[in-house]
Amino acid sequence: MALRILLGLWLAVVIVLGLGLPMVAEPQHWYDLPIVPGLEEKARIIFFHVPTAWLSVVGFVAALVYGIRYLRSRSIEDDSRSAASAGLGFLFCLLATVTGAIWAKSSWGTYWNWDPRETSIFVLLLIYGAYFALRSAVEVEEKRASLAAVYAVIAGVTMPFFVFIMPRVIASLHPEPILNAQGKIHMNTAMLLVFLASLAGFTGLYYWMWKVYVKVEQLRRRIQQPTGG
Amino acid sequence: MQEFFGQNALYVVLAVVLVIWAGIFGYLYRVEKKIKKLEQQIGKP
Repeated sequence: MALRILLGLWLAVVIVLGLGLPMVAEPQHWYDLPIVPGLEEKARIIFFHVPTAWLSVVGFVAALVYGIRYLRSRSIEDDSRSAASAGLGFLFCLLATVTGAIWAKSSWGTYWNWDPRETSIFVLLLIYGAYFALRSAVEVEEKRASLAAVYAVIAGVTMPFFVFIMPRVIASLHPEPILNAQGKIHMNTAMLLVFLASLAGFTGLYYWMWKVYVKVEQLRRRIQQPTGG
Repeated sequence: MQEFFGQNALYVVLAVVLVIWAGIFGYLYRVEKKIKKLEQQIGKP
């Protein structure tokens, strides 16, 4: 319980710092954030939008890992873990899309313009949307788990192409203030600290949400198959 | 509205934060619905 309260406080502090730290042209104090040319105050979105994109990658990679584990162990628990990971990955992918579209409206004047970043995340949503369509189409639990595991592995292998490669190969308007084409971090210490604190906090939140979902699935199986263990 | 957000860019970030929390709220709502369904199943003789 103490850890969960700490997580809540951590995220509250991240939000306050992310929205409240002063943004100045020439940072003088340890808490000053630099003005990012062309983005100004909107650069603060990095503390909230990027962690959602990060969690979608975490979710999809975890779905792949537990998919492989299921194919090796045939344990239905691993199928639950894989499905919960894919579900959270999809949720955060959707949130990254919506938050990105809000930012695009204020910066580019339109919610959607098929920028390579937008196109790749849209394809990713379609790929993982199909994963849930596949799961709901198969009624036999073992067959569903096997098919879903294979699909999660294939989808997980294609994911880095859409997240990391395609938007960098094709010219994009999407800002790259974290890791740009040179692979260097362009943030001052205050910005980097808030950003890393946000990544850590959101990752903790993801783990909590994932655990709750897996526990509910375990309970569901126990109730529906009381003799199955 | 676009003029307002253009002059008050911080509200764009605030909107982003609210969307994220709305998404997490939706997830919690869905998990709670699942738990309620399980409770109903346990309640059945």
